[in-house]
Amino acid sequence: MFYRLSGVYHTSYASDSRIFKVPADRNLAVFFLLFGLAAPFIVPSIYLNSYMLPWLIWTAAALGLNLVTGWAGQLHLGYAAVMAVGAYSAVHAARFGVPWEFALIIGGLASSVIGSLFAFAALRVKGLYLALTTLAMQFIMDWVLHHSPTVTGGSHASLQSPTLALLGQPITSDAGFYYVAFGWCVLVTIFMLNLKRTGLGRALVAVREKDYAAAILGVNSFYYKILAFAASSFIAGVSGALLVATFFFLATPEQFSVAVSIQALAMVIVGGLGSIIGSYFGVALILLVPGVINNLVAAIAHTLGAQVNVETLAHIPNAAYGALIVIILLIEPLGLGKLYGNIREYLMVWPFDQFRK
Amino acid sequence: MDWVFLAELALNGALTGLLYSLFAIGLVLIYKASSVPNLAQAALTMLGAYVVLALSRDVGLPLWLAIMLAAVIMFGLGFGIERVALRRLAGRPIIMILMMTLGLDIFLRGTTLAIWGGTSRSIELGVSYEPLFVGDMFISRINLVGAGVAVVLFVAFMLFFRTRTGIKLRAIADDYMASWSVGISVERGVGLSWALASVVALAAGVIWGEIQGVDQALSLLLLKGLTVAVLGGLDSILGAVVAGIILGIIENVGADFLDPLVGGGSRELIVAAVLILTVMIRPHGLFGRHDIERV
Amino acid sequence: MQEKVEAQHILSMNSVEVLYDNVMLAIKGVSIQVPKGAMIALLGSNGAGKSTTLKAISGLLKAERGRVSRGEIQFEATDITEMLAQNRVEMGICHVIEGRRVFEHLTPDENLIAAAPAGMSRSALDAEKDKIYDYFPRLAERRNSHAGYLSGGEQQMLAIGRALVTQPSLLMLDEPSLGLAPFLVEEIFGIIQQINQKEGMSVLLVEQNALAALEIVSEGYLIENGRVVMHGTAEALKANSDIQEFYLGGGEGIDFHDVKHYSRRKRWLS
Repeated sequence: MFYRLSGVYHTSYASDSRIFKVPADRNLAVFFLLFGLAAPFIVPSIYLNSYMLPWLIWTAAALGLNLVTGWAGQLHLGYAAVMAVGAYSAVHAARFGVPWEFALIIGGLASSVIGSLFAFAALRVKGLYLALTTLAMQFIMDWVLHHSPTVTGGSHASLQSPTLALLGQPITSDAGFYYVAFGWCVLVTIFMLNLKRTGLGRALVAVREKDYAAAILGVNSFYYKILAFAASSFIAGVSGALLVATFFFLATPEQFSVAVSIQALAMVIVGGLGSIIGSYFGVALILLVPGVINNLVAAIAHTLGAQVNVETLAHIPNAAYGALIVIILLIEPLGLGKLYGNIREYLMVWPFDQFRK
Repeated sequence: MDWVFLAELALNGALTGLLYSLFAIGLVLIYKASSVPNLAQAALTMLGAYVVLALSRDVGLPLWLAIMLAAVIMFGLGFGIERVALRRLAGRPIIMILMMTLGLDIFLRGTTLAIWGGTSRSIELGVSYEPLFVGDMFISRINLVGAGVAVVLFVAFMLFFRTRTGIKLRAIADDYMASWSVGISVERGVGLSWALASVVALAAGVIWGEIQGVDQALSLLLLKGLTVAVLGGLDSILGAVVAGIILGIIENVGADFLDPLVGGGSRELIVAAVLILTVMIRPHGLFGRHDIERV
Repeated sequence: MQEKVEAQHILSMNSVEVLYDNVMLAIKGVSIQVPKGAMIALLGSNGAGKSTTLKAISGLLKAERGRVSRGEIQFEATDITEMLAQNRVEMGICHVIEGRRVFEHLTPDENLIAAAPAGMSRSALDAEKDKIYDYFPRLAERRNSHAGYLSGGEQQMLAIGRALVTQPSLLMLDEPSLGLAPFLVEEIFGIIQQINQKEGMSVLLVEQNALAALEIVSEGYLIENGRVVMHGTAEALKANSDIQEFYLGGGEGIDFHDVKHYSRRKRWLS
């Protein structure tokens, strides 16, 4: 806390390109990692499974979307459709008898294939037009899910997910589900942290900033765009599959509708484009705060003895969720990650502000 | 092949399509002035319809007065939204602007439904449901009224853009810097375009409210409206009208062929396909003029 | 006495500094006086800060994330440093921005209408349009075609005409000669001079083409690296040997074999 940059000198490129350049950051990360591991013993299981678990899986998914939108700069309004492909392929594979480890990978690969179709749109247009194309593709996926009973599981359009089992161990306990989600989120986070430091990550950023300038520098923007879409889709597919396997237990088309795509994009933007820590914040805010506000309104109404219409109560979370997006964008268009960065930078040199670069 | 039936499908499709145009004109107005794709247009449409309902049913005003008053409210609201939410994002990347309009869409929809509830209610304009026959073809009267409103609005805007204020708006659409340099208030112009778009949304909301009732489903118009706007070129009002008619015909006739094959509900599919094909083949639409961000 | 001198100037800029994005100092203390009814030129090379100076006066800096960080700008004895661009236009400052930015999708006629002040009556506007078409007969011929299809010279004329509609008392022109054929430059400069004489409009002209500019103005300022480095009457500037060598391309009668390159430094830069 006290002048945390003290004693931090990088004398080689290797040390300057470490994941955590400042020990304080690393310590913080280790602390949260330990907390995450210990959570099942500390956090009551109701919070663990209804808040922390979706938060972690959605963070992994948001990181995947951040890869394609934040890093490679390609607008994507059809992310939920890609997640749906992964979820349904994995569940079907598992129901067919494929072990879950492989089923998840099959889900991821299937998503990659479909996700790369989105990339072909990105090869032709960008910006608003790409957003509209991906949105249209999302609508088509919605339609396919609603109109193909063989995929979505008959007339009720719901597909029971078989019990998750990894390494031969069936997972049924709350803590077990939580650890699966936690492990996946950590894995994706480490991937993203490292991506930043590789040539691939830099190439993606180059494509985002100006694709033809990148092309002049010898960065094959077609190749990197497809790669970005494929990698992000893989993450989406596995996240979607895990969401069904550990949280919903039942796959329905509504879980992957247009609204969910918009929600995923909101998580990324509210969190901050290209910011990893921001994705954690963004998901927490979008996923959890509307519910909290709803409870708050209900509680206040209760204490005041006022009757709140059930319908009103049902729509307040939506209004709050929209308001959150608007407010965050007005306060800081670069999202919560940027706000965190400002605070971090301030604390980094506190109390010697004059050393700030 | 039953030609009369086909003609009837096409005619009714065209009329419905003009209703999409009504919606798309709002999108075009805002996009023209500020290059902002207003994804909250559907929420504005829904809100407009609810405001009219609230004024006519809950307050008890006569319908025409309620619509007038609602137009004033929507005008102010559109102005306010631009002032509060969009102006500060001017010059930011498109993704943030897109997200802002999506956030507004969610917020407006949530608030509207939280206040008035989601049960479907209809606005009664007093249009008869008696079938209207032209030759052997059956035509829906309310669609005819809606198409009439769309055409009237289209003509009104065409005339408006020849007035001095309208020319200034077109100047803003052309070049911000040059507009400032000759003393045109770009901010006020963009605000005005939002206000006008909100009033157009009200018109669309009232007509649709009569046809299918005032409820959440109004926001499903977004995809169709967007498709019409893109097909027409995003910044051309004439384009929005022509594209609306084309999409309406394709949708109605196409659905008639496809529905038996895929088991119904192929309209959305057709619309989405038209949107994708337009963007892929002719991103600037039929009448658009902006240079498109091609890769 | 002091007050009387002030009153003669329609515009006076006192040691104005302009910051872009809160970091880049584009002009560093520029002071300029424009007497009523005079034609003044701002000369200087690329990136010297001429356009920034004009934008500071017209208020267009804001659109480029710039601001006046020091000094003040007075127009007709009113402080306009913080005023909105459109209010400055109402007061009578009009800026013809660089690069012939006409409204391309509008016709020349509509371009002129777009610039009309809010209170202008229809008949006054028509009279104004006729007057502008008198100055620029070429425009009158093409008044109903798209402005984007006009030639470069016609677009520049339209941009100037459009500025005239706002009824300015100070007309600022940013490089009107850019990319135009010499005979067109001559024509346009001739018209500017005519407008200046007929209407008594003050003109502030930014030019790289110093030779042409000094022919029509009465005074000139030389700007280098964001500072005014020289100020004098057109005659004095034309006679100045530094100006001759750096901006006018050598004096007359010099045998080029005798010219030693780099023999002369820009003395004011040291």
